[in-house]
Amino acid sequence: MLDATIEVNGLRKRFGPTVALDGMTFTVHPGQVTGFVGPNGAGKSTTMRVILGLDAADEGAALVSGRPYQTLHRPLTHVGSLLDAAALQPSRSARNHLLWLAHSQGLGARRVDAVIEQAGLQSAARRKAGGYSLGMRQRLGIAAALLGDPPVLMMDEPFNGMDPEGIIWMRGFLRSLATQGRTVLVSSHLMSELQDMADHLVIVGRGKVIADTSTRELLAAASGDRVMVRTSSAPEATAVLARAGAIVAADSDGALTVSGLAAEKVVSLLGAKAVPFSEVSAHHATLEQAYLELTRDAAQYRAADAAASPPGPSGPAGHGGTPASGPSAASGQEAAR
Amino acid sequence: MTAMLTRPGDAVRADRDSFRRLLHAEWTKFRTVRGWVIGTIAGGLLIIAVNLIPGGQCGGMQANGQPSLGGPGCALTLGPAGQAVTDSFYFVHQPMGPAGSITVRVTSLTGSYPPGNSPGQPAASALQPWSKAGIIIKASTRPGSAYAAMMVTGSHGVRMQWDYTQDTPGLGGAVSQTTPRWLRLTRAGDTVTGYDSADGARWARIGVATLPRLPATVQAGLFAASPGSSSVTSQSATGSSGSGASAQATAAFDRVDLRRMPPGSRWRGTSIGAVPNPGNQSPGGGYRQSGGTLTVTGSGDIAPSLPGGDGGTAGSVAGTEVGTFAGLIAVLVVATMFITAEFRRGLIRVTLTASPRRSRVLAAKAIVLGAVTFLVGLPAAYIALLTGERKEQAGGISMYPVPVLTELRLIVGTAALLAVAAVLALGIGAAIRRGAAAVTAVIAVIVLPYFFAGPLAVLPAGAAEWLLRLTPAAGFSIQQAYPRYFQLGFSYTPGNGYFPLAPWAGFAVLCLWAALALGLAGYLLRRRDA
Amino acid sequence: MSQAPPAQRACPAEMSRASRASMRDALHAEWTKARTLPGNGWLHLAAIALTVAVSAAVAAAVRCPSGHCAEDPAKISLTGIYLGQAVIAIVAVLGVSTEHSTGMIRVTLAAMPRRATVLAAKAAVLTCPVLASGAVAVLGSVLAGRLILPGHGIGPGHGYPDLSLTSGPVLRAASGSVLYLTLIALLSLGIAAAVRDGAAAIGIVLGLLYLFPILGQVAGTGTWHRHLDQLAPMTAGLAIQATTGLHSLPISPWAGLGVLAGWTAAALLAGVILLGLRDA
Repeated sequence: MLDATIEVNGLRKRFGPTVALDGMTFTVHPGQVTGFVGPNGAGKSTTMRVILGLDAADEGAALVSGRPYQTLHRPLTHVGSLLDAAALQPSRSARNHLLWLAHSQGLGARRVDAVIEQAGLQSAARRKAGGYSLGMRQRLGIAAALLGDPPVLMMDEPFNGMDPEGIIWMRGFLRSLATQGRTVLVSSHLMSELQDMADHLVIVGRGKVIADTSTRELLAAASGDRVMVRTSSAPEATAVLARAGAIVAADSDGALTVSGLAAEKVVSLLGAKAVPFSEVSAHHATLEQAYLELTRDAAQYRAADAAASPPGPSGPAGHGGTPASGPSAASGQEAAR
Repeated sequence: MTAMLTRPGDAVRADRDSFRRLLHAEWTKFRTVRGWVIGTIAGGLLIIAVNLIPGGQCGGMQANGQPSLGGPGCALTLGPAGQAVTDSFYFVHQPMGPAGSITVRVTSLTGSYPPGNSPGQPAASALQPWSKAGIIIKASTRPGSAYAAMMVTGSHGVRMQWDYTQDTPGLGGAVSQTTPRWLRLTRAGDTVTGYDSADGARWARIGVATLPRLPATVQAGLFAASPGSSSVTSQSATGSSGSGASAQATAAFDRVDLRRMPPGSRWRGTSIGAVPNPGNQSPGGGYRQSGGTLTVTGSGDIAPSLPGGDGGTAGSVAGTEVGTFAGLIAVLVVATMFITAEFRRGLIRVTLTASPRRSRVLAAKAIVLGAVTFLVGLPAAYIALLTGERKEQAGGISMYPVPVLTELRLIVGTAALLAVAAVLALGIGAAIRRGAAAVTAVIAVIVLPYFFAGPLAVLPAGAAEWLLRLTPAAGFSIQQAYPRYFQLGFSYTPGNGYFPLAPWAGFAVLCLWAALALGLAGYLLRRRDA
Repeated sequence: MSQAPPAQRACPAEMSRASRASMRDALHAEWTKARTLPGNGWLHLAAIALTVAVSAAVAAAVRCPSGHCAEDPAKISLTGIYLGQAVIAIVAVLGVSTEHSTGMIRVTLAAMPRRATVLAAKAAVLTCPVLASGAVAVLGSVLAGRLILPGHGIGPGHGYPDLSLTSGPVLRAASGSVLYLTLIALLSLGIAAAVRDGAAAIGIVLGLLYLFPILGQVAGTGTWHRHLDQLAPMTAGLAIQATTGLHSLPISPWAGLGVLAGWTAAALLAGVILLGLRDA
């Protein structure tokens, strides 16, 4: 495989008085899923359109595997993309939609049937695409992106309109593509969607990159090393742990939040002093929280900001919560903050 | 719902309020799409801009080679009511006092082509249907002055005509040695009465003409005139080509009986309306007297004059509005999009959720669209009239006058035509739901029939007329500015601004189509899933 | 779209091979697109049916009992083109405008980033079916004229030329009408690519076609009228249908078709430039 990267370098673009891109710069590497996150209107879609040569940037350049998109021969064999799943002629069947796309890359019908199977669309492929649900259109969009078996994949909000089952399928699917050594760029305005899927994150706001970091680092930075203890004898536990050098705070629901000690250490200390406890768990910050901390300044739209705060998306965040290794389980409770 | 409404008055008021809000919503929708506002205004501007196309010119060459526009050949002869008239014939006349009469017997009427002016057709066809000769009482020898006349014609029998537009039939059949026609005119003050007779014994009164402010002394006598022959040889989308030739009529009169003429009068021959313009029919002619018989030869016509006739609209008030077609297409596109845009991206669901009574949504759209196009069309039509008149005058062409009310109908009618056509487009758009197909359908039903019946001119007249009676293109009838005259052989074609239906009747046909389309659209909108 | 990156320039032979391949792919893709749009077949059928029906109706309406009318039998039997072209224009416009209205143009341009190539492929894919359905429509119309007109005093028995494709002028009128329809389709394609919206595009196309002869009436019979006839896409283009009275035409048959070709070229050029300049 070529050096399959996406390089975005100093993109600037204005739409009238609005600055859409303000020096957008980042690189996407192969073998991992890169999340492209930011509030609505941060410039994610515009960046992707510029990468695909659909929009012209006022300044800067975007290269795919080292070349501008327009110069790629049979571009879908270099980059597969999904921008807008609704962008198809409703009266054409899904299979025929993929067929013309395949023909544009010199591919045949066999490849079309292969991607239909990959996307799980076999039963509906000959129906008019206009009658598809949003989730099915997303699958069709994925199939189209996979058509050229490209080393680079780029998806704009692929989780939109998908049911939970579909979201799980999509996550696994994108992960497996990355494990095959492909470059996968997935944009989203909901960090929770990327949880446990993205290895790397490019976080943007107001047309430029705020953070370009691996997911693990971001989470570690946001989590601190806090441990939650549930016990029937809080005063004893507090005394024991404070003596060991931890800072202990009592939560409103009776649990204790312990900072400065690892979970294993807390368990062994309480065990040694025979303080009863029902649960000890290491607190993991969700990506959501990490992201909100980062983008608080960059959020352009107060409304979007408010919607991303509790109690809004905390439900899905909890649903997709990270099961911690070992017996300790993290719960994505907002109270942990 | 019924439980909440206590008094019927409340229900009506609430209803009215909700409809007013709906209108407001649709108006906001319309004005906030820049393309639609621009399109509508562009439609108005197009109506005017077409008059920037250079038109014909009238005039001759000056000695230095520069064209001189205007001049006597371009001026119109105006009749007593201010309308344009043709008044050129050969007149053999004597003065007549406030009371008197003239009686003659006509024994023949023949046609001929002046020497060197034969169109290569058999001379027998030189007598035109409206070649005319007879007796006339005329205010003066000035062209355009008031008159009343009894005459025999080429193929329309005996007629009494006065003041150019009035025409009453008398005895039918052709005049000949064996079937002579007796004609009589009697004057009493402002009133002239015409009689005819087959034998000079039994007289029938044909008509009574009142000629206001007729001078005490008028000219009375014999006349002959013949319009030119014309035949359209080919017509196509690229215009029509025809050939014509001036013709002469010659009539023989005897038993001439003049009463109460001033003593000492003698016959004088005058060529009326002789215009030194080769383009006009030269009203040459003369008379011969031998024994009791007077033979008079003349060409020209005594009739109303209408603009066009040569495939152009020079001098026609209606011609200034021909840009309506261009403006109409812009308006139709906007009107269609006003509804089809709702279907394209599912906006109609939002609209119908906001106001679930679907027919009212359509009605509100129709009212907003109709009002907007009417209000844009009104000033556009008015300015088009002004610029068109100015253009014609700059080219030396005189406008054929029309009454103020006709001008008003032309302006208001053009705006109304745009408005109703826009509503029709709305209906068709709501039924078809696809922008491009709907625009094509709308243009096909409004503009194409006119095109097929008018400029294309492949259809025989009958078929063309039915197209303009039955299709929405009948609406263009509202732009007819000049009446038709039975006594004037003229090609009353769409190209010359004539339609088979009367102005308001044709407009009513368009309205009917718009109502049908809107009704169908409302039915479909209610039946179909949004 | 001015970026042709100097760094990436491959050797010319390789470039041309690649661009030939991408043109071939684009043609294949656009053909599949046109083929799988169910409305297209119906529109072609409608174009044929309307053309033949109007031609036959006009042929049936024309009467020339004296046998001395200045009628051109070829022109009469091809009258349906005046209406058929509107349907062909819809086919052409929809081929572009639906992509814009659905947003599918982005998918297309992501798959085929060479925009001029896309438009060229669309033009080529449009041309073939229009040539075919145009040929059927014209043959049907001529056949109808041949069957109907002699019964109405316009036929070989009345001194008119036989409506047979073996006669040079008739062949020119028939084949020229097919070419005319094709040029109208391409003109519509160019305009649709330039203005993107289907309704607006079809309005402009039909305005361009039908308005000139109507507005020509303002210009009277003077030289301006003649100039308008020489410049108008429809009147000039359909000069090709004339088989009699060629000397009185405002423009000679092939030159007239050339004028239409000029309009078409201008529209396509505008389409290519605007498609290239605009963000998709």
